[in-house]
Amino acid sequence: MDEKVPRSNIIETEIPMGTVHPAALEPYRVRLFVEDEIVQEAEITIGVNHRGIERIMEGLPVEKANSLTEKICGICSNSHIYNSCRTAEMGLGIEIPERAVYIRVIMEELERLHSHFLYLAHGCEVLAHETFSMRVFYMREIVMELLAMIGGNRVQYGCSVLGGVRPRCDLDEAKILRLKNDMDTVEQNLSDFVDRFMADSILLSRITGIGVLPQKQAIELAVTGPTLRATGVARDLRTTMFEYDNFDFNVITQPDGDVKSNLVMRALESFESIKIIRQAIANIPDGKVVTRDWEMFDTDIIQSYIEVPRGTLYHSYRLESGRVRHCIIRTPSMANIGAMQYACIGDQITDAQLSIVQCDPCFTCTDRAIEIIRR
Amino acid sequence: MFENTMINPIISVILTVLVCFVISTLLPGIERKYIHARIQQRIGPPVTSPGIMAPLKFIYKKSTEVSSPVPGLYKALPIICFIVVLCILIALTPQAYKIPALASLVAIVGFLKVEEICYVLMGALSKSVMSVNMPFPDVVKGAAHLNATRSFIEDISAKRSLRMITYGSFPLYLALFAPVTAARSIFLQDIVAFQQTHGPFLFTVSGGIAAIVFFIGYMIILNEYPFSIIKAKSDVIEGPYMEYAAKYRAVVVLTRGFFMFVLGAIFSVLFIGVPPTIFSPAILINIIVALIFVFMMGIFSAFTPVFTNRQLLPTILSATLLGILSIVIGLL
Amino acid sequence: MGLKSFSRARAIHVMLVYTGGCNGCDIEIVNSILSPRFDAEQYKVFLTWNPREADVLVVTGPVTHLNRKPLEAIYEAIPDPKLVVAAGSCALMGGVYKNCHGDIPSEEIEGPVENIIPVAAKVPGCAVRPQDVLAGVVTLLPTLLDAD
Repeated sequence: MDEKVPRSNIIETEIPMGTVHPAALEPYRVRLFVEDEIVQEAEITIGVNHRGIERIMEGLPVEKANSLTEKICGICSNSHIYNSCRTAEMGLGIEIPERAVYIRVIMEELERLHSHFLYLAHGCEVLAHETFSMRVFYMREIVMELLAMIGGNRVQYGCSVLGGVRPRCDLDEAKILRLKNDMDTVEQNLSDFVDRFMADSILLSRITGIGVLPQKQAIELAVTGPTLRATGVARDLRTTMFEYDNFDFNVITQPDGDVKSNLVMRALESFESIKIIRQAIANIPDGKVVTRDWEMFDTDIIQSYIEVPRGTLYHSYRLESGRVRHCIIRTPSMANIGAMQYACIGDQITDAQLSIVQCDPCFTCTDRAIEIIRR
Repeated sequence: MFENTMINPIISVILTVLVCFVISTLLPGIERKYIHARIQQRIGPPVTSPGIMAPLKFIYKKSTEVSSPVPGLYKALPIICFIVVLCILIALTPQAYKIPALASLVAIVGFLKVEEICYVLMGALSKSVMSVNMPFPDVVKGAAHLNATRSFIEDISAKRSLRMITYGSFPLYLALFAPVTAARSIFLQDIVAFQQTHGPFLFTVSGGIAAIVFFIGYMIILNEYPFSIIKAKSDVIEGPYMEYAAKYRAVVVLTRGFFMFVLGAIFSVLFIGVPPTIFSPAILINIIVALIFVFMMGIFSAFTPVFTNRQLLPTILSATLLGILSIVIGLL
Repeated sequence: MGLKSFSRARAIHVMLVYTGGCNGCDIEIVNSILSPRFDAEQYKVFLTWNPREADVLVVTGPVTHLNRKPLEAIYEAIPDPKLVVAAGSCALMGGVYKNCHGDIPSEEIEGPVENIIPVAAKVPGCAVRPQDVLAGVVTLLPTLLDAD
């Protein structure tokens, strides 16, 4: 696909939106430079959310730091605590029990489901299609109830701990049965929704060819996650993670990189997640869920990359007498901001927020090290 | 005797308007509760909440200083809108047919145009806190475009309303003039009289097509969901109405319900030949027509996303062509 | 109950301002008002994004430095009577972020919300549950109904 070129460089006016805006939800500022309702350039200002998590983590005992990483993001909170524990486990050479790996995978995939449903619902809401948005939110409620059943809270379940998962999150027969039944319901509802969605020609005319991110540009901008896969690049870190070795799933790609590809991408990936959860509950091994026989020692800098609902998540720190030092966290939306700014170009103002939302922004995650200059 | 002939019509017009107004306040609630909420599988708000209780509540709020370059005019605009809608309803009552200048299609079109121009002015005069006025340090040295003019989101909305005036409201006006081809007169009296002798215009070929065009025009002028580009939530939030608070917002909310009813009444006068008056049981037909329109609009808007200019132009163009077709058929 | 209280009890417009928490509370609240599962509209609570329309301002998050002025501006834009609900532990006491520099006062976190605008109700939880938010808005009702 060709590179998008702005039609002209005449900037008629600039429209700032935010930091409070119904389409954005999160606080960030967008400046759209437009010529006759066509966006010529977009500029996203973040830094509004900066809270300095890494600064707080510095010097904390590693168990505390792990549970603190959950507070980075309320959508993919499990991914953060999971990756943070994984980092320490890699450094300390802890072998976690097989059952814990399965439970972690179940949690991670449930979270992917709820994140993707949130994406679909929010996308429909920005399209001003209230009915579809409500229907997806209704499906999402089932997943939220499951997460609350396993973790004990609707957001921030605190499932992973160093050496496995919290004993509270262990799955008994009843929980597995409920998980199984609810997966059937979710799959049924989701496939009904997708059929209905793809049959709606009005909606499709609204989303086809909008917010296009060409593949070449996506690779140049180092876009990650579903947003990259929606441009046709089959890159999914789950294929390289040892946790997913025993699971059979497909890496979904979509060709176009527009809003339609992105929405379809998320819907199809949700089916894959359901598949993984089914495999996990069918083959879940017996045994304990947490191992306590490990020793703390000082390590070099440890790095861990995992695939989270929105892309690649990177955690790295070193351990020094049981405390976290030099912590760095890089979240997927950091790379995707470039894609958001690019995807807006050449579309109507009404589509600009949609083009930003299609890259699945999570600026709460993203606001990391930013220096605040006081005048 | 002389007093009776003067005062009776006035009293009957006032009574008709009052009854219509009371019924019209229920319409937004009916749309929200019985259509949107039912389609979305939830319980939804009480019928009285959006149309009656919300305006009452707004009346009791303290008014704030409006952020607008011309606050006086900005505050007057919703009242002008309300008066315009009221005038249309008065023009539709049979008592007004004695004043031919008022009870003609030209007058109704004129009133509708005033309503549309009010949207443009509202958009241009509203300067809300949600865009440029938000205290946020985003103007930096070395930005992509340094000296661009900064616009409020409402300015975009004003531009869009202007665009809607130029082409968006064609379908409605074409549909309004379709009955003229049958009755050969632009006076409501003749149109009603013609339909009472020859049967409703709705059931002719030309009338059927014109009714469809009228429905599309109805949604466009009410800014309901697929055509709500001037107040699309995804970019301009509420567009022209952003800055209205307290009692002015109450007027805005009431006007919307009233306008829904009045447009339904226009349809029942022009296409069925039943003018609204409380002295005949035929007012029930007016109410039913208004309800049917609200139901149809609710169902349509619950299943469509907001249209951008890309979709609006073809939709309006095809509706306009349909309208021309109905007029041509009517003339033949 | 006069007409004033009667009408106020039957149409409550809620606006949400999100001042830099972790997204958890925010999505739970929007979810509680949007999704058909909780459907706040059946309790006559409507979600709005226009401060001029709002009666109740729900604030989540610890109010980061850059969010302070927008929050104040939005609070000022709401016509009286207005009430503020602080939802989530960040909005109540700054959450885990407040003490990020230990005893040294933090420049980044201006919160809790109380320091900036008067708060009428506090909804605890990390993240808040939708039921609690609805309950919080409902406990405000007497105050809202009796205000001038």
